[in-house]
Amino acid sequence: MRRLLVAGVVLVAGLALAEPQEGPGAEHAQGVDEKEVSVADYILHHVSDSNEYELEVPILDKYNKTYLLPQLFVPMPWGGRSCEPLAGAEAHGDHGVARPSLAQGCLDLSITKHTLFMWIAAGLLVLLMLTVPNRDKRQLVPRGTWANLFEAMILFVRDELAIKNIGTKYGAKYTPFLLTIFFFILFMNLLGLLPWSATATANLAVTLGLAVCVFLVTQFASIRAAGFKAYLAHLTGGVHWALWPIMIPVEILGLFTKPFALTVRLFANMLAGHIVIFFLLGLIFILKNAALAFMSVPFAMGIYLLELFVAFVQAYVFTMLSALFIGMGVAVAHHHEEHGHEAHGHGH
Amino acid sequence: MAEEGKDGERDGLSPTARGMRQAQPLVDAVWRFIGGAVVGVVLGYLLDRWLGTGPWLLLALSVLGIGVGFYAFVVSLSKLGRKK
Repeated sequence: MRRLLVAGVVLVAGLALAEPQEGPGAEHAQGVDEKEVSVADYILHHVSDSNEYELEVPILDKYNKTYLLPQLFVPMPWGGRSCEPLAGAEAHGDHGVARPSLAQGCLDLSITKHTLFMWIAAGLLVLLMLTVPNRDKRQLVPRGTWANLFEAMILFVRDELAIKNIGTKYGAKYTPFLLTIFFFILFMNLLGLLPWSATATANLAVTLGLAVCVFLVTQFASIRAAGFKAYLAHLTGGVHWALWPIMIPVEILGLFTKPFALTVRLFANMLAGHIVIFFLLGLIFILKNAALAFMSVPFAMGIYLLELFVAFVQAYVFTMLSALFIGMGVAVAHHHEEHGHEAHGHGH
Repeated sequence: MAEEGKDGERDGLSPTARGMRQAQPLVDAVWRFIGGAVVGVVLGYLLDRWLGTGPWLLLALSVLGIGVGFYAFVVSLSKLGRKK
């Protein structure tokens, strides 16, 4: 086996050494540039969202199929443009034809491949959570591999994330939300690692949506713990009312920094990993050298395994930070409750 | 702060979460300092563009923003000092 492997490496290495001899140098360099651009385009096309789902069959190119996902344009009152579904080449966003934008009066609610995989993740989540836990109330101890596996993960989220970051008083109340976020992100991340799929979390809109949910829950937690009056008082920064026109925008801006960090972290992590894998494989085509496969495929495999780890880590980090922010929201209120009278007096 | 520590232990918080909670008022104070300047400059710039009043509102609101930010910073810190 080892001999075969060595023979294979020598053979391909020989090919690799022979290949750069073809053609004059200048032309070759130009070719590299063109190829590089097309590989980059290919990669960007594959990681970005689109209205079509491509089913690619390795080696057998003739079986490749592109499915156009359902389109839905909602006309807006300010638009003069007709919001008809696009057909043929127009429907493929990357053929130089711009899709009607919101400013032009068309709200684009078309199903994209990221939407599709987000729904699949949501469906799987509902299916698993309905079937895996032991629904028999008389027997509380879970039975079987799946039930035990999920119990371990659920207990981890409750005991290590919710209670340790929010506290025993409120922790359990926010556990269902944190569990939903954790498993939803985990499923989207893991789905993205399967062949023929897309990573919904590598889309800024998806991560922003998740962060908005966390933001709303954080504000809700803050209001519920302190009361609406104390929450509003905190937004004034504790300064004289004449300074509020400057202070209130400052405090409101401050509220958005945390969800912004959540949004970008998850998005960048998931996108970067996929681009790295694609580029490692793309090196073979950029440098037109089959021998590079011996280097880039194992490297891509390594990054893939790292991505598998990152899928869990990012779900964990997002959930942990959400819990931390909710906890801090509760604590700000708590803080205000204890010492708030003093600040109040100063503010008014 | 010592009270909060005791509270925290009873609440089952992790050291990180407790640390973040204790640091939060300080982070808020610093944010008020920076944010005051940022909001002043941006507001002044936008109002200047809207009203066409040259650089004057930008200058005035920048100075005001920095001043308010600094004032809020000092007020927040002095409150923290009093709580101790």
